[in-house]
Amino acid sequence: MRKRGLIDFLLPASVVVVLVFFYIPIATLVLFSFTSSRFLSWPIPGFSLRWYGELLADRNFWAALTNSAVLAAVATVLATTLGILGAFAWMRWRFRCQRAFQVLTFAPLLFPQLLLGVVMLLWFSVLAGWLNTSPGLWSAVIGHVVYITPFAIVIVSVQMYGFDTSLEQAAEDAGASRWQVLSQVTLPLLWPGIFSALIFAFLLSWGNFYITYSLSGSARTLPTYVFSGIAVGSSPIYPALATLTFAPALVLIVIVDVMRRRAARRRAGA
Amino acid sequence: MSDPIIEARGIQKYYGDYHALKQVSLSVAAGEFLALVGPSGCGKTSLLKILAGFEAPSGGTLTIQGQDMAGVPAAGRPTRMVFQKLALFPHKTVAENIAFPLTVARRPADAIRAAVTEMLEMMHLKEAYLHRYPHELSGGEQQRVALARAMVSKPPVLLLDEPMSALDARLKKSLQAELKHLHRNVGTSFVHVTHDLEEAMMLADRICVMRAGEVVQIGSPHDIYYRPAEAFVAGFIGDTNLLPAQLTREGEGWRFDCPLLKTERPFIGPDQAAANLSDGPGLLMIRPELLRILSPADAAECVIEGVVSEHFVRGGSVQYRVQAKGAVIVLDLPGTMVLPARNGDPVRLGCARSDLFAMRG
Amino acid sequence: MAEPRSWRDGAVRLTTLPLIAIFGAFFLVPLVMTAVLSFQGTQYYRLVWTWDLKIWRDVFSQWHYWSIMLRTLSMACICTALCILIALPVAYALVTRLKDWADHVTLLIVFAFLTDAVLKTFGWVLFLDRSGVLNGMLEGLGFGKAALDVLFSPFATMIGMVYSLLPYAIFTIALSMARIDRDLVLAAYDSGASRWRTLREVTLPLARPGIVAGAVLVFVLSLGVFLEPRVMGGGTSPMAAELIRQSFETRVNWPLGAALTLVVIVIGALSLALFGGLALGAGRRARA
Repeated sequence: MRKRGLIDFLLPASVVVVLVFFYIPIATLVLFSFTSSRFLSWPIPGFSLRWYGELLADRNFWAALTNSAVLAAVATVLATTLGILGAFAWMRWRFRCQRAFQVLTFAPLLFPQLLLGVVMLLWFSVLAGWLNTSPGLWSAVIGHVVYITPFAIVIVSVQMYGFDTSLEQAAEDAGASRWQVLSQVTLPLLWPGIFSALIFAFLLSWGNFYITYSLSGSARTLPTYVFSGIAVGSSPIYPALATLTFAPALVLIVIVDVMRRRAARRRAGA
Repeated sequence: MSDPIIEARGIQKYYGDYHALKQVSLSVAAGEFLALVGPSGCGKTSLLKILAGFEAPSGGTLTIQGQDMAGVPAAGRPTRMVFQKLALFPHKTVAENIAFPLTVARRPADAIRAAVTEMLEMMHLKEAYLHRYPHELSGGEQQRVALARAMVSKPPVLLLDEPMSALDARLKKSLQAELKHLHRNVGTSFVHVTHDLEEAMMLADRICVMRAGEVVQIGSPHDIYYRPAEAFVAGFIGDTNLLPAQLTREGEGWRFDCPLLKTERPFIGPDQAAANLSDGPGLLMIRPELLRILSPADAAECVIEGVVSEHFVRGGSVQYRVQAKGAVIVLDLPGTMVLPARNGDPVRLGCARSDLFAMRG
Repeated sequence: MAEPRSWRDGAVRLTTLPLIAIFGAFFLVPLVMTAVLSFQGTQYYRLVWTWDLKIWRDVFSQWHYWSIMLRTLSMACICTALCILIALPVAYALVTRLKDWADHVTLLIVFAFLTDAVLKTFGWVLFLDRSGVLNGMLEGLGFGKAALDVLFSPFATMIGMVYSLLPYAIFTIALSMARIDRDLVLAAYDSGASRWRTLREVTLPLARPGIVAGAVLVFVLSLGVFLEPRVMGGGTSPMAAELIRQSFETRVNWPLGAALTLVVIVIGALSLALFGGLALGAGRRARA
């Protein structure tokens, strides 16, 4: 055995420190959501759920929640569908100009989101002028799709990496039609990746501030609702909102992880 | 031979500039077990994929059951394949895997259930496995499930792509025996790709030896072993002795002039020479088990003189290596309590003229 | 595994054309639009099609813009350095030491990463505030009132930037470290190399593509941060994104906003090309 040195302590410690760092603001929000005071100063004077009540009574909150849900649902479905298509084009074949195709469909990931939003806003304002409308949820959906699709492509591609094409050949050999091969073999095998992509896309869209802020016109989603709220003055209803949205997100991420591991076990065993 | 079920004529395959198959022709009879053998890269797997319909030939014609297969996709062919890595669907249970060809053909549920049960029995798989997933089975069991899936729809032709290459030697032996048994029972034609000639000899009715995209020889296991068309085939399995000789056609048969081999009548019959043999330098083959050590009183039609350089006891047999005029002659003798010779002993080796086989050098 | 196919193939078209249409119409065209706009002018808050270089002359001649760009660049460099320095030990520990825990830790980081950025920055404000959790706890320890008054300073902005970009660095570096053949590390130990030396001579060089990629990603993305300087920095140290925002929103000067956007994009693209090539080169050598 090697002598246990300082480094054996420092390395795990660094992970712990970073985790604490990541959870400082999240824990702070959860703490303040239960304060009984109107002011967000420490220590909190007492425990209360009144800010949850106030949040739920706020009509703007419900409007923002609805917008967020619609935007995230539509963007998730579109981005994941495009992500699956893109992953096939990235991983399964070689064709001319594939490199250019990969760069085009990956580039938005390398863009600061605000710039992506601004650049698209310019174009949407022009389009909206032509179509006699104004930017709103529709343009935010397109913005989210452009921003999130590269993530979806990467996630599905990871699942596709090392995909055993002889499984598809075996299905074809057994007399399956192209559609049967796709629906009974290819997509079920890619499902863990597709599922992760769906959840990731949903959470990315749900929590997105920059692109929504630039493109949604007067429509507000939860992040822009909070942003405009805290610009005016902080209130404990925002920590309450944060706490309410954390729980389902955490559940979704855990489900993804469980699925991913089960698929990995199967693949390793077969 | 009855009507061929597979008839391949002049099959060509190019991958870019690489010429993988050069004018390959062969036919498979109904119910026959044919093995495709050759070193890796010889084109045997490409040929199998062309038969299965996963690859289109660059030239030539392929008919299966009298129908031209050009443009017919894998799903529409009367062939089923057992894949090298088995390709069992990891997300489907054993029952779903075996039933797959019938499910996609939309057969009624009770017919499917009956067929799966029949396969289970035929492959000696336990009923309890039906609801397990492939990764929960052992390697040998997975093999049987793959065979069951391929056989469940009773295809006229079964293609096997080295399905046993990943198994350990003992398991391989028992599965080979089962495969042979299965073939006898079902009457399906098997085309089995392997790089293991020993496996091919054990299983096949006929063996097709390939090299660099060409068929070198097609014949029964006995022919392949004792009447190889070329030194390449002769050296592919077991030990062998290839003696350089001058060959000249004489009447129906051949006259040979071999400095190592002393004989009164240096002639061999027409069935003791490869079909492509011509006058000039060639090789005379004697398999090691056809030679024996002569006692001083013994005589033989052909005699080789030399000195024992090494010998190894190999279980039931003893192998001798004998130095004869710079060449090494190998012979296998049945084991005996008292060895006939030791290292350094001068020996005379003998064989019958009918044990010789001549081929091109 | 990848099979060569032509553009005439139906499947290739089906999988590429929808993406090309969407990314072309809503990503490429807007980029071109931005470039075109930067050559126009404004009068009384309205766009005028002038096709001249006036905006570009303004952008390069005014010290105001230079100073904000330089601040943005220096903040981005510091942020990149901090992220890499923090991510290296964390990624190394995740890949080599904490195998059993790595999945759970990754999950926790992913969750924090995916959470609404506005809420997270607001959480930091509440934590760092004069009367926030940090100062409350320090007071409890006897440090006096508002011992660490860091909120609304460039320092707070930096905390926010590192916070939101660190996951990118951790994931790219961990990914490249996980792909290192464990036998290479064992071979180094076997040849008698110390752990420190093995890390320096085997692990780090082989992980270099991931380190460079993580650095470039963090750098490029940090050029465009907006929430952190606005909410945590309190607008005391505006960065490029704030400037761009203002030129669109407050000053309604679209050509100026477009030109400034292009400047940031070009800086990002140049660093990508420079270091991306570096990472690729290193990757190629590692594979050879």
